[in-house]
Amino acid sequence: MKLITAVIKPFKLDDVKAALQAFGVRGLTITEASGYGRQRGHTEVYRGAEYQVDLVPKVRIEVLCEDEDADDVIGVVVKAAQTGRIGDGKVWSMPVDSVVRVRTGERGPDAI
Amino acid sequence: MTSFAADRAHRTTQTDRWLAELLGAVPGVALVAVGGYGRRELLPRSDLDVLLLHGGRDDIASIADRIWYPVWDSGAELDHAVRTVPQARRVAGADLKVALGLLSARHVAGDPELTERLRAGALEDWRSAAPARLAELHAVHDERARVHGELAFLLEPDLKEASGGLRDVHAIQAVAAAWVAPAPGPKVRTAYEQILDARHALHQVTGRRVDRLVLEEQDEVAVALGLLDGDVLLRMLAGAGRTVAYAAEHAFRQADRLRGSRLRRRRVERRPLADGVVEQDGEVVLARAADPATDSALVLRAAAAAAQAGLPLAPRTLARLAECPPLPVPWPAAARDALLSLLGAGRSAVGVWEALDTEGLITALIPDWERVRNRPQRNPLHRFTVDRHLVEAAAHAAALTREVARPDLLLLAALLHDIGKGWPGDHSVTGAVVAGDVGRRMGLPIADVELIAAAARHHLLLPMVATRRDLDDPVTVRQVAGIVGGRVLLELLHALAIADGLATGPAAWNDWKAALVADLVRRVAAVLAGEPVPAPAPLRDDQLALAADGGPAARVRGSEVTVVAPDRPGLLWRAAGVLASHRLMVRGANATSVGHTAVSVFDVEPEYGEPPDATLVAADLCRMLQGRLDIEERLQRRARAAPPPRTAVPAPRVTLVDGASETATVVEVRAHDAPGLLWRVGRAFGEFGLDVRAARVETLGAEVVDVFYVTDAEGKPLVDEEVRRGIVHAVLAALRDSATEGTQVPRSVPLVKLALFRSRRGSPRTPAPAARAGPEGLHSRPVLNNVPGSVAWGCV
Repeated sequence: MKLITAVIKPFKLDDVKAALQAFGVRGLTITEASGYGRQRGHTEVYRGAEYQVDLVPKVRIEVLCEDEDADDVIGVVVKAAQTGRIGDGKVWSMPVDSVVRVRTGERGPDAI
Repeated sequence: MTSFAADRAHRTTQTDRWLAELLGAVPGVALVAVGGYGRRELLPRSDLDVLLLHGGRDDIASIADRIWYPVWDSGAELDHAVRTVPQARRVAGADLKVALGLLSARHVAGDPELTERLRAGALEDWRSAAPARLAELHAVHDERARVHGELAFLLEPDLKEASGGLRDVHAIQAVAAAWVAPAPGPKVRTAYEQILDARHALHQVTGRRVDRLVLEEQDEVAVALGLLDGDVLLRMLAGAGRTVAYAAEHAFRQADRLRGSRLRRRRVERRPLADGVVEQDGEVVLARAADPATDSALVLRAAAAAAQAGLPLAPRTLARLAECPPLPVPWPAAARDALLSLLGAGRSAVGVWEALDTEGLITALIPDWERVRNRPQRNPLHRFTVDRHLVEAAAHAAALTREVARPDLLLLAALLHDIGKGWPGDHSVTGAVVAGDVGRRMGLPIADVELIAAAARHHLLLPMVATRRDLDDPVTVRQVAGIVGGRVLLELLHALAIADGLATGPAAWNDWKAALVADLVRRVAAVLAGEPVPAPAPLRDDQLALAADGGPAARVRGSEVTVVAPDRPGLLWRAAGVLASHRLMVRGANATSVGHTAVSVFDVEPEYGEPPDATLVAADLCRMLQGRLDIEERLQRRARAAPPPRTAVPAPRVTLVDGASETATVVEVRAHDAPGLLWRVGRAFGEFGLDVRAARVETLGAEVVDVFYVTDAEGKPLVDEEVRRGIVHAVLAALRDSATEGTQVPRSVPLVKLALFRSRRGSPRTPAPAARAGPEGLHSRPVLNNVPGSVAWGCV
């Protein structure tokens, strides 16, 4: 199993949610986040302020999926979140040891 | 190998070309390099500081896209801005960093006319607002110095931010740009290149944009620079840092004066300070009648006058003083007196000394000084290079001159006590020789030369003995008295120990050490005066009362822990284990007995500042005494929680010190500090059927020096060679196990019948009252934070 984490622009959240649903993802978790990357938090190319690092508001999406779906889920997120402008965000995946559905106690892939 | 400077220039040219291609031919737009890039100082990992300047085009965003995206994609760190000339000037007016960046603005591509307008405008703004901007710059500089310290004296300096670092040179350039002070001279420029090269090599070696030269990288950076090793590198940087810091200080002085003169035009006033030396405009200068060419003592006279008046020597005065002929050897009395007056000024002497040193005047006076100049000290206790440490020690000694019969010798001894560090071998031994030579050169009478040499030879004697020996042992005091020989040297050594400790760093001197040294001095003074070795202070009444019903009982009061129990061996180190499990560091311990009751008194200090609950400590001590507490398990849990040492730790060393006591064998253990060390080593002794009568613990950064007074079953020192060899091995084994110990049970069965050594004097020393009389520091703080006074916990 894999945990896919994506940090994206907030206004792209609906697009990404819809795309994941269409793909067949049955659950996800959203967190409001803030941070910066290579552009140091500058949101527009022509309004940089040298020597200044800003924290930009972002949305963090987490999705659990089976190993074989991981690449596809990443692809779906990237496609839906891309604007081609700075600050589009990042997506990464991590291996997951175990998952339990709290209500039923189901474990492993059944719990996803 | 191409030079670092050539590499930087090449990288700059390449980058210029690349950016010019990205911009292409667009009218009304210019790419401007600012900051380090503007100065053509691109290091391997430097940021690119680039400003896209335009005359108000609407499509500027798409032009910016064309440049910034490829730069981002290349992975380079970009500090970018897109502005019109008025915008850029406005931002610079509000942000000092931007203003400083614009001072090094350089045209890269596009319309040169635009860049020129920006440069001229930025300079004009800078000059017209100079008084306010320079004051702001000075404040930023001071704050930076406060946070990052001085490049010259740090073991792991920040090459960019530290005082004396690269930013200071940029500050000097900024002051110069306001036409307030001259541009950096050749010395400063050379120093700047040296520091910049070191930073360049650091980027290269680490592959990261780091500015702090940490210990691990120093050797490799040195090799990259073609230097022998990290010490040589640090020495070079210390020299460069001092040059820069001194020049920056001067530039800011000029800047401050500019501000003063705008407020009120002052009449130039000259006030005489000494023969041929006057004050003018807040600086010390030479009088018109002074003649450096014939007056060899003028250097020291001017320096003394400056230090006593608390004023700096003017740079042009320093340059003229360099013309003074060398002092005749031996020195005339006037020169000696001037030196003493300089050193006696205390704190203000440090800056004056620094100024003389920058002009090479110190080594002209004392040629041996060259050997310690800028010499780094690879020792976690020291803050300063050797030479600065010596000057600092003299400054601290100046406050103690009333305490000694010979203030003049105290100041000179403080200035010379570590001069032996410039030569191989034990620096106390070499220092005695060199200090004697210097004393003779200064023309001191032979008796004084001998005293200064002796002070250098024995400057570590008092602190070492006080912290590592049992002062109650008559041998300790007799030995020190024998070495010191007289009251005058004893006073000198005492004041010197204080000044040396204060000048070393906060870890090297504290109330605890000061009280121990004072106690030792008091005892030695008594012996020197012909009195018998003073008897240790008896147990206090409250301690006797605690012992009266035989215990077991424990009491925690302030930093003192008293443990009372029916006489039994191993009490001292077991109790130490309990204290360690409560995160209390044991600094000293003494065991004694009253009748059949053993009394152990500990001097402790909380490990993390916040003292543990005294009630809990006392309760655990009682449980231990009743055999209901598994100390080993507790300490293991703590050891597992403690972070392992980050770097390789040198192997522990165990030494038997002969002749330090007639009643016990003194075992000195040097090891990396770890929780429960005292307990672990004590247990190793216990397994040999030996007991610990007293212990002293001195912490030196991450290292500890533990000293144990060990006796055999009969309470005698150890004579059997086999036992002596055996315990060294056993202690080493116990220290090695300290990290790996898991489920081990005590290894061997005691071979000898155990017995607690009974102090023949009947009662132990209680810590001197002075030990907890300090106005601040750990001793005056009660260990109890919830119970006033003390807690006594009788066990049932």
